[in-house]
Amino acid sequence: MIEILEVLAGFFEILTNLGASVMLPIVIFILGILFGQKIGKAFHSGLLIGVGFIGINLILDLLVGNLGPAAEAMVERFGIELGIIDVGWPASAAIAFGSQVGALIIPIALGVNIIMILFKLTKTVNVDIWNFWHFAFTGALVARLTDSLVWGLVAAGINAAIVLVMADWTAPMVQDFYDIPNISLPHGFSAAYVPIAIPLNNLMDKIPGLREIDADPETIQDKFGIFGQPIIMGLILGLALGILAGYGAQEVLNLGVTMAAVMLLFPRMVKILMEGLTPLSEAAKNFMKEKFEDREIYIGLDSAIAIGHASAISTALILVPITILLAVILPGNSVLPFGDLASLPFLVVMIIPITKGNIFRSTIIGTLVIAVGLYISTGLAELHTAAAHAANFDFPEGAAMISSLIDGANPLTWILVRATGLGAWAIGLIGLLTMAAGYYIFRNYSARDDLA
Amino acid sequence: MKKKVLIVCGTGIATSTVVNEKIKNLAKKAGVKVDINQAKVTEAKREIENSNYDFLVTTTAFSYKVDLPVINATAMISGIGEEEVEEKIIAKLKE
Repeated sequence: MIEILEVLAGFFEILTNLGASVMLPIVIFILGILFGQKIGKAFHSGLLIGVGFIGINLILDLLVGNLGPAAEAMVERFGIELGIIDVGWPASAAIAFGSQVGALIIPIALGVNIIMILFKLTKTVNVDIWNFWHFAFTGALVARLTDSLVWGLVAAGINAAIVLVMADWTAPMVQDFYDIPNISLPHGFSAAYVPIAIPLNNLMDKIPGLREIDADPETIQDKFGIFGQPIIMGLILGLALGILAGYGAQEVLNLGVTMAAVMLLFPRMVKILMEGLTPLSEAAKNFMKEKFEDREIYIGLDSAIAIGHASAISTALILVPITILLAVILPGNSVLPFGDLASLPFLVVMIIPITKGNIFRSTIIGTLVIAVGLYISTGLAELHTAAAHAANFDFPEGAAMISSLIDGANPLTWILVRATGLGAWAIGLIGLLTMAAGYYIFRNYSARDDLA
Repeated sequence: MKKKVLIVCGTGIATSTVVNEKIKNLAKKAGVKVDINQAKVTEAKREIENSNYDFLVTTTAFSYKVDLPVINATAMISGIGEEEVEEKIIAKLKE
């Protein structure tokens, strides 16, 4: 097994040296053909992905090139050490898919999934190919840390397995709360907060007074609605940072509009990437569904399908100013929150069913995990930046370090990276525990029948 | 007559792009011209107010009160019950 991986790794090393914008079109083309796509369509898909990459690179350069100097100036003037820029998940997803691990992540994650279904360790068929980037991201960091692609792949595979088990574990609750029968959410970021939120929620159940507090989603959406509009948020943050950096009026306005542009354009570039990946994702979905039609399965989807819930939106909106405040006041944090401020719904979406939609509790839990997350992303920023350079993202080297709340602040990513740092035994142990948990959950957790 | 459709999802990018492709194909088959936009759920309200949409397709939980018909298309992502949703959308396109 290891030998096969090494041969594949060598092949992909050559490919990766071409750069993500050339490598991924080739990989996606080959995978498309393997999944039975027509040549023309597979070629078009691959090319779109390459174009998406170049687009993301342009915007990343715009972001780091403008925000980096402003952050540095702010550090010099006030001694607020926020020199690591949160570039947001679009960039991290591109870094992850553009890594060597990313090139192999689709067959690896599908393979892990198939094996776990065959051995009755999961009921989830994860068809959310796009979000395989979370596993690739962990793998990319591990590959940087250990200087070994094989360990990167192992960590990515274990990450995929853990997320499947978590999707099974939370499926009854998620299906019930969001009213989405037969679906589970094997999302690398959202699911990571479940094991933290459950004990915290139980604790709050026991505290009299705290137990009864809740907030009204409509009031919150009216009051905090502005945080739900990325371009306005980009503008305001850009203006504020320009002022803090001591820029002149013209430069301040310029930074404001540039940051508004980044907030609007980043997702547009990702959309191109998504368009390229969609046909392959559909083909993989049909392939997996046909294979396991006769089994009791959950279809594993993007947690984005639940994000529209009023409590999830409201909690995420409140968490925006809280995140900025935490970044400023927490000693030892160096991350300047920016790109992922608009993506906080992903952090809360699986916490919400645990608190039964209670916004107050979800906000408390969210605040705690973000506080810890800022330290995690500060700690992982060096690897994050190295992974970006390794994937040929050529923003100014040495100018600034980058991170993103998704997945730079992800506790699951952190555990897997640090465990691999400890040695093979630690990551092996995590793998074994995951399989044991999968075995137990498969047999003891079931979705309510009346929903199906 | 061109139909104007807004697809709403959690990000305005991911699942809505998948559904966008599918609705484009449905419209082509039905011989209806469509103008499709995608929005993040937090931006949807503003988008609806600023533009004249015929109907809304969502792939996420949608809790805003709007005057437009809303079709939930999560089935187009999961593949379970997809035909039913397709029929609903075709009916709306032909209206």
